[in-house]
Amino acid sequence: MNRRHFLSGAGGTLAAGRLSGGPARRPALSFCDCSLAPQATTPTGADALAAVGSKVRITNLKTFGVTIPGAPPDRPYVFVKLETNDGLVGWGEGTLEGKAGAVLACINDFREFLIGADPMPVEHHWQSMYVHSFYRAGPVIGSAISAIDQALWDLRGKILGVPVYKLLGGPNDPDGVRGYYVANARTLEDLKRLRETATAQGITAFKGGLPSYYEWIETNEKITEAIRHVQTLREGLGPDIDIAVDFHAKTSPSVASVIIKELDPLNLLWVEEPCPPENVRAMARIARRVNTPIATGERLVASYGVRELVEQSVVDIIQTDANHVGGLTGLWKVAALANASSISMAPHACEGPIGMLASLHLDASIPNFLIQECCGQAVPQIRDKVWEEWFGFPAMRMVKGKYPLPDKPGLGFELTEDALKKYQFAGSRPMARVFHKDGSVAEW
Amino acid sequence: MPAPLNPQLEMVALDAFALREPASKRSYTVLRLRTRSGAIGYGECSRITPSDLSALRVAIQGKEASSFESIRRGLSVTPSALAGLDIAMLDLVGKFTKAPVYQVLGGPTRNQARALARIDGDTDEAVVAAVSQARAAGHKAFLIPVPATHSPNHSATLVNATRQRLDRVRSAAGAGCDFVLAGAGNLTAGDASSLAAAFERSHLLWFDEPCPLSNLSAASRIAGENVTPVGFGRFAADAGIFLDLLRSDAIDVVRPDLGRHGITRIRRISAVAEPYYVAVAPFHDGGPIATAAALNLAASIPNFFIQQIPYPAAEQDRRMRARLAGDATEEIKDGFLQLPRGPGLGVSVNEAAFTEYLEREG
Repeated sequence: MNRRHFLSGAGGTLAAGRLSGGPARRPALSFCDCSLAPQATTPTGADALAAVGSKVRITNLKTFGVTIPGAPPDRPYVFVKLETNDGLVGWGEGTLEGKAGAVLACINDFREFLIGADPMPVEHHWQSMYVHSFYRAGPVIGSAISAIDQALWDLRGKILGVPVYKLLGGPNDPDGVRGYYVANARTLEDLKRLRETATAQGITAFKGGLPSYYEWIETNEKITEAIRHVQTLREGLGPDIDIAVDFHAKTSPSVASVIIKELDPLNLLWVEEPCPPENVRAMARIARRVNTPIATGERLVASYGVRELVEQSVVDIIQTDANHVGGLTGLWKVAALANASSISMAPHACEGPIGMLASLHLDASIPNFLIQECCGQAVPQIRDKVWEEWFGFPAMRMVKGKYPLPDKPGLGFELTEDALKKYQFAGSRPMARVFHKDGSVAEW
Repeated sequence: MPAPLNPQLEMVALDAFALREPASKRSYTVLRLRTRSGAIGYGECSRITPSDLSALRVAIQGKEASSFESIRRGLSVTPSALAGLDIAMLDLVGKFTKAPVYQVLGGPTRNQARALARIDGDTDEAVVAAVSQARAAGHKAFLIPVPATHSPNHSATLVNATRQRLDRVRSAAGAGCDFVLAGAGNLTAGDASSLAAAFERSHLLWFDEPCPLSNLSAASRIAGENVTPVGFGRFAADAGIFLDLLRSDAIDVVRPDLGRHGITRIRRISAVAEPYYVAVAPFHDGGPIATAAALNLAASIPNFFIQQIPYPAAEQDRRMRARLAGDATEEIKDGFLQLPRGPGLGVSVNEAAFTEYLEREG
């Protein structure tokens, strides 16, 4: 089928209303008897844009919970598939740790925003999902919007016949996108071995974590242990490999500042989430008192969510996640906002492969890209085998320190429902719950 | 391994044509970008120097037109030259994908774009005549210059003269029309503040460039003491300046210059303004190809409000613009510009008009 004829013509012959559930058939809103209810509901956005849209229409939305072996049990993948009247499909991901069921339900809540609509105007759909949700997006709505947004970008690229990075203005580097793996080693000996593997593979950066859980003020023993742990990372991996250290918001601003002060001489790539994300001023207090670059943002939604961090110049690196921030549309806007304040982007990604592959397209095109996460290891794990089985290529495996760019139209992969069938949804599982010695609740 | 370059996107040649309108003497430069397969994309910038043109000719080699973001890396040419190249590259991407640029960029976000006619004139009579003419052509929003003052900081005189001018244009334009008061960045902070205060209840769309952009504290005070919305940006060089204005609560309308930023950089500036709930109204004082670019931009961002376009008073200037890019691009219907529907910028450029209107010395 020649799909070109679906584009850039006047007046769609397939009116949205002819497909079931289309916006034209939506009844007048009557959710509220109060005088604030909208006075007019027509023309709906989708109808009003028909004359300047494409003739492709979304005909179906399917959600998938996917549980694979070897992955953390709290994050079965949440995928969405959009089907269209021209046969093309778009895939997206909204995996949210501990809340798979909620995101699957939330994606389905957006069904009637999409069925019968033109998939091309992704910005319009994003705005409608965000604004018309009324309650501004937190992680659940943010992840649902992310999944749909990625699927729309996948479709847009396939309809236009180009990989998404070309619609975003890239690539910065045709060889791919710089990435890092998890430093899965603790002892000096293991770290030295990891360094040799890294050198052989061309890996340029790793991320490690802190060895314990921390109360809001800590003992000399715990603080010293944390500092020694990171010093060992540097000693083992050597001076030429970049090292990021994820505090995972396990520390309070007070404890983080004390630890980072002693990490400053190690020239780390960054310290990540040195305190929880709700309080920007608290994070600013840490940043003011140390020299190590500070990174944060994986739990934030939309550019609205990072606005205060950027305007107060609190951090050096922003790490919003394509599966939570609002997909590629949300991530692109965060990157644009960050760039206006000379802040770099190191997108977070520790869930399934679709959000990660989507992130690569954006990484390859923004001017302030630093490095991309994937939570993989230098030695391939079970998940890497499953992903290769699904896509037919080693997704998110670096070559000479870079993830190769998917070059097919859209997000650059083919995925079938059959491929997912082997990995039935085992249900939502909560994230790990950890407690201090005295039984009180600990951050991890 | 990187994929080989697609000849339909691979850029090989760039040419510039400096044009000038016969009556207004407004000048702008059309860029023509060609790919290996012979596809042509057009861009527009305010001006390009020979050295910038050479630098861009080197920069495009071995690159595809779709690399409109990454091509900026390491390039040090004037912003205007990059803006023109950006528009031409996007025109090519749209033509390659057979889609309007706004669809390439995630739109449409709207089905038409509200227009703002820039009105010139030294006297009230001239301003009123120009407003009437633009109103007859379909315009419903007008950018009205603050009367020239020869006694700065004598605010009462200026407020009275401005009130008289606004009253006259309001009655000439009739019901349903809106106005932007244009300070053009050359009022004193005191005069600007007096005007902002005097027109708080006049429901102007906004007060444009009330004081010099460099005076950030004056800008914050004017915006902080009055409810008259203020617009800034014609002279702003980059997104960081807009971020400064936004975080200082000094701006209600961001006005990046299309001829300086092109489509891509204004999309970035719009993204900066969005979390502040601030509208975008690009400044544009160039030709009709830039108008087509502006329309594609308007339909690709969520927070667009209105597009300023020049309204040439002289018939011969209007004819030139229509000869260059057709009648439809700048046609106003009930205050709105219509979105182009064809691939790329959606405008057919008539190269025969280049030689006719080529800018000549003197």
